[in-house]
Formats: sequence, C-alpha cells, structure tokens
Amino acid sequence: MKIAVDVLLALAVGIALLSSIGVAAMRDPYQRLHFITPPASLSGLCVLLALFLGETQKQAGAKAALIVFLLYFMNSVVTHATARAHFVREKGTWPPPEPIELVHE
Amino acid sequence: MNAWILAAAGFALCLVPCAFVALRAPNVVDRLVALETAAVCESLALLVLAEGFQRTIFFDLALALALLSFGGGLVFARFLERWL
Repeated sequence: MKIAVDVLLALAVGIALLSSIGVAAMRDPYQRLHFITPPASLSGLCVLLALFLGETQKQAGAKAALIVFLLYFMNSVVTHATARAHFVREKGTWPPPEPIELVHE
Repeated sequence: MNAWILAAAGFALCLVPCAFVALRAPNVVDRLVALETAAVCESLALLVLAEGFQRTIFFDLALALALLSFGGGLVFARFLERWL
C-alpha cells in the first residue's frame, strides 16, 4: 500500500511540475491557460487517492475531498473568467460581435 | 522526512516557473495565469503537508487558500477586464 501512495504522490508532483514548466514555456495567455487544469484535476485526484490509501487521520479524507472538489470545479470558472478578460482586453467587447472565423487548412 | 513532505517540496518547486512568469511576462494576463497555477500547486502542497505532519488543522489552511485563490482570481480577472 505504501508503494501505491508513493507512486501516486510522485505522479501528482510530476504532473504539477510539468504543468508549471508548461506555463513558463508557452507564448500567450490562451496557451498558458491550458496548463492550469492538470494540477487542479489530475494532481488533485492523485493526492486524494493517496490520502485515502494511506489515511491515518479520521477527518482527512472528507476535508481533502472537499478541497479537491473545490479546486476542480472552481478552476474551470477562473479559467473562463481569465480567458474572457484577455479577450476583452484584446478585442474590446464581450460577447464577440460576430461569429469567430474558423481557420480551415 | 517522509513521502508526504517530499511531495510538498515538489509542489513548492512548482512555484519557481510560476514566479519566473509572474515576474517577467510582458502581458499582465500571463502573470495572472501564473498566479492561478501557483495557487493550485500551493493548495496541494498544504494538503500533503497536513498529512505529512499529521495535523488536521492544516487541511483548513489548504481549504482557505483554495477558496481565497478562487475569489482572488475572479476579482483580478474582472479588474483586468474593466479597468486596466
């Protein structure tokens, strides 16, 4: 069981590290925004599973589940708000006045 | 030193690229994205620290940080959208 906990923690840290490096490597805010989600969803889930497997405290599981739930669902709201803020700063209006043209290759 | 505290150190390491972006990025929205990523990583760091130190009260810190970073991110985004 301890090996499973260690593997899950290593996975969570690896995902978070790669995502933060991705935030630094990308060019514009739309690309960077994609890298908030993996730590909030996958890393959070891995930490939660590790807590349930190696749980030694009574209240830990419930509180950790609440925190991971909050991170998962609030992250999408904040990501949308940030993307909208960037769009308004670039284009000056929200919602877009005309349908956004798709690029056909 | 156990696996939980090592994991917390790993999550704390995630702050370095985020701090680099927050300090050096040309666009203010890039900085906000780095701040939000750092808040998520630090919430997870507090979560594993609570288990590592066997202190239930630390879970409340992670919960408070998750809630406040959500509110702060929304306020920052709205502020940047309207006034800056």
